[in-house]
Amino acid sequence: MTEPENSKSIKFGIAFKLGLILAAFGVLASGVSGYYSYTAGRALVIKLAEQGLLTSTHVLGRRLSIALGEVANDVRFLARIPAIKRISLPSGNLPVESQNVLADSFAAMLSVHPEYFQIRLISADQNGIELVRLDRDRGKLARVTGMDLQDKGHYPYVFQSLRLAAGKIYLSEIAINHEQGAHSGLEKPTLRVATPVKSPTGGNSAVVVVNVDLNSLFSLLKADLPYDFRLFLSNEAGDFLIHPDASQTFGFDRGRRILVQDAFEGASSIVEGKAQSAVMTVSASERQPDKVLAAFIKLPYGDTASNRFVILGLTQPLENVLRDTRLLGLNIIQMVLLFSIPAIILAVIVSRAMTGPLNMMVRAAKRFSEDHVTIDLPLERKDELGLLARGLREMQTQIQAHLSELYESQRDIDHLAHHDALTGLANRLMFNARLEHAIANSQRTDKNAALIFIDLDSFKEINDSHGHAVGDKVLKAVATRLKGMVREVDTVARMGGDELIVLIEAIDDPHVRFVAQKLIEGFRPPIHVDGKDLQIGISIGISIYPRDGNSPSELLNKADLAMYRSKKAGGNTFHFYAAEMAPAKTG
Amino acid sequence: MSATRYLLAVLLLALGSASPLACARETLRVLAWPGYADRDLVKQFEDRYNATVEVTFVSSDEILWEKVKSGQGADFDVFAVNTAELTRYIDQGLSIPLDLSHIPNTRHQLPRFSNLQSIPGITREGRVYAIPYTYSAMGLIYDRKQVKKPPTSMAAMWDPRLKGRVLAYDGSSQNFSMVALSLGIKTPFQLKEKDFRRVAKRLVALRANVLTFYTLPEESIALFRDNSIALMFANYGTQQVDQLRKAGADIGYVIPQEGALAWLDCWTITRGVRNKRLAEDWINYTLEKPFSDALTQRQGLANTIEPSPSADKSDKIIWLEPVEDFKMRAELWTRILSGDRAGKF
Repeated sequence: MTEPENSKSIKFGIAFKLGLILAAFGVLASGVSGYYSYTAGRALVIKLAEQGLLTSTHVLGRRLSIALGEVANDVRFLARIPAIKRISLPSGNLPVESQNVLADSFAAMLSVHPEYFQIRLISADQNGIELVRLDRDRGKLARVTGMDLQDKGHYPYVFQSLRLAAGKIYLSEIAINHEQGAHSGLEKPTLRVATPVKSPTGGNSAVVVVNVDLNSLFSLLKADLPYDFRLFLSNEAGDFLIHPDASQTFGFDRGRRILVQDAFEGASSIVEGKAQSAVMTVSASERQPDKVLAAFIKLPYGDTASNRFVILGLTQPLENVLRDTRLLGLNIIQMVLLFSIPAIILAVIVSRAMTGPLNMMVRAAKRFSEDHVTIDLPLERKDELGLLARGLREMQTQIQAHLSELYESQRDIDHLAHHDALTGLANRLMFNARLEHAIANSQRTDKNAALIFIDLDSFKEINDSHGHAVGDKVLKAVATRLKGMVREVDTVARMGGDELIVLIEAIDDPHVRFVAQKLIEGFRPPIHVDGKDLQIGISIGISIYPRDGNSPSELLNKADLAMYRSKKAGGNTFHFYAAEMAPAKTG
Repeated sequence: MSATRYLLAVLLLALGSASPLACARETLRVLAWPGYADRDLVKQFEDRYNATVEVTFVSSDEILWEKVKSGQGADFDVFAVNTAELTRYIDQGLSIPLDLSHIPNTRHQLPRFSNLQSIPGITREGRVYAIPYTYSAMGLIYDRKQVKKPPTSMAAMWDPRLKGRVLAYDGSSQNFSMVALSLGIKTPFQLKEKDFRRVAKRLVALRANVLTFYTLPEESIALFRDNSIALMFANYGTQQVDQLRKAGADIGYVIPQEGALAWLDCWTITRGVRNKRLAEDWINYTLEKPFSDALTQRQGLANTIEPSPSADKSDKIIWLEPVEDFKMRAELWTRILSGDRAGKF
């Protein structure tokens, strides 16, 4: 492939630029669409995960409600044990055998419910003295009796339960149990579920209370949650009751509030009663800056009429949610790369298709301007490039036509300058040039050149008697005849008037003699002009280079002198120059 | 000559540009309880003294102690602490004596607060360590509808006619001191061994008469309202009075004849103070009327320059003091609250 000569000055050709732009566009387009599908996919994944998390929270909330309902059923069941009816009023005492029956029932209940810390029967009288009490104590069950039984009348789970109708359930706030003597339940997050015991005379004679271990209740509930879910529970005010970091729970118990709405700003709408649920993506805490998805719901707690609630929440690390989207991202990157390759190839092909014909035309224009040669052009194309090619071809044709005309006239001018207009023989100018050339040749080849000077005899008479027109025709005929008698390489020139010269190179005297004789003989037949036969004779003078001189003028002069000798001799003869022909100057 | 002049000019310029740095705003680091340093009032101080005030709030005595102690007082300039707590700060050298001539507004304080020697805990070896700022007496709140005759004595809490309609506070130190006071014990903060049993049995009796014990002021308001309470020991004093009145309760507030325990919060300056004069200016500023009035109007707390509308100047106020054995009181109280019967004490 021949590159244009000035290709060095074109740093980046149109093909390169066009290809680059097209490729960049292709890559950019696939990149941008890839990015958008990634962000849209990511947003969708997060949204779905949030919904999933919210659903999980609701499911967990339902389970908690069901679990609390089961505790309530257990408490009601215990309150209906017949032995409990034997509380004597108004002392509030219970016969020992009834106490034992109840203790056995409480123990049975505790043994099947590991999440229960303690079950008690508390009298409505005697400042709320405990009548029967079973505690869980490091895996064993411990019955508390005698002086170790305590007065509990001042606790809300007693005085509030006593105000309830039979079968109604009291659900305490979830708090740390500070009641001394509570064994395993001491200082543990506890929920108290209680119901009154109806006395035969009307009114409530006692309360059955079950202390539930909040953490073991929830460890049952959350058993089958995904491993990376974290559970949160707060009370109505937002105080954390369950938090993955136990130090964040029950802050109020240590005189320091740690609130869900501070850690999860979105949860404040639930605390303020503006929303039933809240879903958000936040940093879980200052210590844990990684973002998490969080879903919180308002969960009715206790009697529906009381409007009490707790806030239950689940979080999931955003990282884990987005793990799938990372795969999506990688796929999209692969896809973008994969689509970029054809885009680049296509760009190359398109730019080639575009610039191939252009380059062809550039080459054609170049060749044309350098050598006036027309080469292939994409003439058959039906597009703008074809149009351009056809225009270029038309231009080439026109230029070529103009150029030939120009050459033609140049040739004519050239001919006119070097030839005699009448006879078409070489003129003096051309003759001089030929003579100089012949001299130079002779010097090199060491051969002679002969100057044969011809003058027409009786030409003046023809002119005078037949007119100049005939004279001219005669000259023409003479020239033709002369040319016919010498070789192509020999020069025949008209010096003016009826003086003609033949220049013959590389010739010796005998040959010159032969040629001269031939010329004289050649003019013996008459010349036919305008129906007349005119007799023309010729007088010839010959000078030889280098014998007769070195310069053209000298040689011409000497040939002229020799011609005069022939003329004097009566014409139709020839003479070589001889020394005695020189005009005598001084003696 | 010209070179010297040029140098001089440069020096002067340098001095000129350095001088604003020299008088750059000072920063005062205040450690206080919520409501003690509201933003608008702090702003006025900043403008007047061309200083920046950084306020850090605390919500319990323990947190306050932790914050001051952890930096050996270097993290704050001035802080608010009650007289009973102040003792340990002075003991540890975290609190330093004040120059009263820099706090002229102390002259406008009520007589009860201007005689600093009479307030236990704030002076030592004749030097003043703290200036009273706000206080709260633990009087009795009663429902005017149920209690026709205002109670005059603490004994009303044990009145069997009010059984189940009395509210008391769930706090060990105060309860022991309060009961000791009601039993006529002269040194309620320094109980002797034999006094403990008496006081404990008396508290068991109180337990039998109350509906329950409360912890937070908001909790006490809800309990009072929802359970037709007739009489309440007001651990938070006028704050509770304020809140109950706002809740629409028809109540009265009395300081019983035995006297009322009261906590007294004072401003004191740390050992690590950066600009003691500025810290003293702050204390002086808090004793100005607008600042003190805001405390009363916004927080329902009594200030030290105007008599409290709900208290008489003849009232017997007993400032809290450190107790003889906090741990023992706490342990006993836990047992009482848990329901141990009188026979166990």
